[in-house]
This record gives sequence, structure tokens and C-alpha cells, in this order.
Amino acid sequence: MSNPLHKKHDFIERSILSALAFLKDATLSEEYANRKGFLQSLDPRFKTISFLAFLVTAVSLKSAILISPLYVLCLILALLSRIPLRNFLLRTLFFIPLFSLFIVLPTLFSVVTPGEPLWSFHISGINAIITRPGLDGAVLFVLRVATSVSLVVLLSVTTRHSELLKVLRLFGVPQLFVLTVSMCYRYLYLFATMVENIFTAVKSRVGVVSHQRHGQNVVAWNIANTWNRTTQMSEEVYMAMLSRGYTGEPRLLSKFNATPKDWLWLLSAVVICAFLLYKGYSL
Amino acid sequence: MSDIIFEVKDVHYSYLGKFPALCGVDMTIRSGEKIAVIGANGTGKSTLLQLLDGLIFPDRGTVTAFGERLLEHSEVYEKAAHRFRQRVGLVFQNADIQLFCPSVREDIAFGPLQFGVAEGEVNRRILEVADVLDIQHLLERVPHQLSIGEKRRVAIASVLAIDPDVYLFDEPTAGLDPLTVRHIIDFIVNANQRGKTIITATHDLHIIGEIADTVYVFGRNKSIVRGGSSESILNDRSLLESNNLIHIHRHHHDGREHVHQHLPLEPHD
Repeated sequence: MSNPLHKKHDFIERSILSALAFLKDATLSEEYANRKGFLQSLDPRFKTISFLAFLVTAVSLKSAILISPLYVLCLILALLSRIPLRNFLLRTLFFIPLFSLFIVLPTLFSVVTPGEPLWSFHISGINAIITRPGLDGAVLFVLRVATSVSLVVLLSVTTRHSELLKVLRLFGVPQLFVLTVSMCYRYLYLFATMVENIFTAVKSRVGVVSHQRHGQNVVAWNIANTWNRTTQMSEEVYMAMLSRGYTGEPRLLSKFNATPKDWLWLLSAVVICAFLLYKGYSL
Repeated sequence: MSDIIFEVKDVHYSYLGKFPALCGVDMTIRSGEKIAVIGANGTGKSTLLQLLDGLIFPDRGTVTAFGERLLEHSEVYEKAAHRFRQRVGLVFQNADIQLFCPSVREDIAFGPLQFGVAEGEVNRRILEVADVLDIQHLLERVPHQLSIGEKRRVAIASVLAIDPDVYLFDEPTAGLDPLTVRHIIDFIVNANQRGKTIITATHDLHIIGEIADTVYVFGRNKSIVRGGSSESILNDRSLLESNNLIHIHRHHHDGREHVHQHLPLEPHD
């Protein structure tokens, strides 16, 4: 049986451990990126450029009818890339209410968007009217956000993070920056595991129920300890870099191999975007 | 003599200026030698390797490598540093420190790329060292997903790809399963047979006979207590006992328990 006192006092610990578990599972596992699917087989440079083109198209279009093919394309790509549709929809649709639904809610009503009334009702004696332009605008906004989020999620889950970082070099980002971010990313997992271990060690010595003040002390001590260990480790990592010839100007492997399939994909993406944008301007 | 690689003279080193790590160490290492530095925890073995790799510099005394004194901020050292690093490779005790790139392939490539090796040649070396250390299947993996033994082999591969003349190993077999220990010992022996100089810091006496011809024992006073052939050192019970290097076993025999020490070269009764 769960102890309510326990639940009340260890919320910080549970929050930290849940956050670490999410970080390790969702961000660092690269489960989908390692699968053999269509998007995974594309050169990350071509994939990133094509997805940027899709994103620009999605935010430029002013018609929900024209954006919807892009959203359907996302779903097809998810299937071709062996991403379970249920997981993909959960992951993308979860963010939509957060980012768009609450923002868009007031624009449904005539107070913010006047126009042809569609539906009216009373809330606490106030007459609320939903208008057609309000509804159209809301649908367009929600669809645009859903498509954009889907594109970003697709790109990030089907590409290894190290490769995505290397693509940054295409846009003129210095190698030193790419190396630093890659290293931060590489050590996130190590430090997440370290913090988890510290909590387990504390729990094994003091038991599961601890007073709130004691819990705060543990968290504070944990932060200080992690800081010390990361500082020490950063010095050692620098030594390891020096030992292998690092002189302040890193040289990294540029392991990209473009195939005719990548060029074909890029061409298709450009044609789709151009067609949708042309249709958008024609409307 | 021209075949001297390292000459360490009266070296003193302390951390933060107040925690002594080495106190008056003298040592000469020649080309092609197999050296082991043994001692209990905290006797300065890792510090010595970092000094030999030019990562830290002595408070007092001198370290000379390939005929040139290693000095921090010295113009000669700055110019020679790149060539020096190509000739000396250190495999760190903690493989997580050494594997800082996002994938195994990039970690192996990092060293040669810094030395200006062309990417085609780097790719060839990656495949070659992966074959030697049997890590072909790990090349695209992320270092944090590897086991300790796999990390250690990748760390060795990252140094092997540079192809240095001198290998410095810091506790290469600590915490590994017997088969991985065997692979690492074989690698060290093979490298030495190819003319490489090997310096290994360890307190695992069981591997000394294979990985070293000469052994230096570091004591609690942070200096060399004795140096000599591996056989003479491993058979000196009082020397090993006084330096906390003897294995102590607790056994059950015929319903009674007894505790005894034994030397690595001694048959176990």
C-alpha cells in the first residue's frame, strides 16, 4: 500500500527520477533512429533540408486544405519509417493542445474574430458567438502546428542526434560548437545515471521515507556533488583530448554519403513544396 | 643512449600544491621495453603515466622524452607537442573519459584526424583497428550504450588508430571479465612484439608475468621502492606484502575456514 506521507515528501525525488527516465528513454535511446526504414536510410543533410522546406511551406500556406496533404505525408513517412502510428500520434498530438488549442480558443469567438456567426450559446449570462472566420482560422492554426510538430518529431526520431548536430556544419556552425554540443549530449546520459545512482545510494542508507527538510538537503547535496564531479570530469576529458592531439581546433569525421535516392527525395520534396506554394498563391 | 625514450629524474608532483602524489621518482625507459608499474591504490601510478604523456608537469625534477625535456609553456615543447602526441598514446583508466565523441567510429577517428591524417586513410584505420580488437559490430554504437569491457576495447582502439610508438595503459584490466582481460593481454603482448614500448600501471599481479619484463613497485611513500625483473619482484613475498600487493584468500577446507596469502607465481594450495 502506498504511504501518503511518502508521496508528499518525495515529490522532488520522483520528479527528478521521472525527468531522468524520460531523458534517457525518449531522448537518448535513439530507438527509431536505429531502425531500418525509409527516412533512416536518407542522408541526414538531404533529410534536414527537405524537412526545412516542408516546414517553411507549412507555415507559409494560408489554407487548411493545402496543409492537410503535408500532414498526410507525415503519417505516410512515419509508417514507411517503421514508427508505430499510435506512438507517433500520441507524441505529436500531445503537444498540439499545449501549444495551439489554448492560444486559439479566444479567436473562435466574435469578440476577437468578427464575422458570420455559426453557433451561439450563453455562459454566465454572456452571449458567446463562434464565427466562421474564427473557426477557419483556428482549424488552420491547429493544422499548421500539428504538421510542423509532426515534421520536427519525424526528423528528430529518425535521425541520430550526432548526425543532426553534424548537419549544423552545413549552415556554417563552427566545428568547435558542434563538438561541444555533441560532448554535452554524450555525457548527459552518464550524469543522469550518476544522479540516479546517488538517489538509490541515499535511499539504501536512509530508507524510503525522509523528512521534507532532509529531502531538500539531499537534493542540494546532490546538486553540489554532481557539479564537483562534472567539473573534475571535464578536466579529465580535456586531458584525454590533448592526449590524442587536440590543439583547440577540432577536426571531425564528415561521414555523409549521398546516393541517387537522396537526390530523388530532395527533388520530390522541392516539387511538392513548389506545387503547394503555387496553389496557395493561386487561391 | 639513443634508445632511451623516457628519463625521469627526481620527479616530485603534488595536487593543488599540498597533496603529494610522487616524491622523488627516478626511472629510465628504453625503446621496446615492457614495463609495469605496480603499487596499492593512491601510490602515484596514474600520476606517473600522465607525466609521461605530457599532460601534467613535475613540481621538481625532470621528465625527458625522446631526448627533449617536457616543460609546460616551453616553445620547444609546443612545437614538438604534436609529434610527441603521435608517438605516445595513453589509455585512461576510466574509458568514459576517453570516449567523448557521440559514436565509436568518431572516437576512433578523433586522434588520426587531429594529426592531419586524410579521411580515406582514417576510414581504413578504423576498419583495421576494429578488426584487431573485434569491435566491428560496435562502430555505429553510442559509447554510453557499451559495457565496461567494450568501452575499454574501444578506448584502446582510439589510441591504436594513432599507431604510437609508446603505449601507456592505466589499469587496463580493472573490473573486466576474464575473456576481455585475455584479449587485452594478448593485444599488449602483440604490440610489444611489433616493437612498441609498453608501460602499464596496475595492481593486478596475475597479468604482470605476461605484460612486463621489468617491474617498478611504488610504495606508500609515493616513490619507487624497488625495480627489477618481473620474476624477481613477483617472488619477493616480503616486498609485495609490505606494499599491500598480496592476494589474501579465505577458504573452507574440510569444514574449517582458513585465510592465507599467495603469490601470483606460486601454485595455489
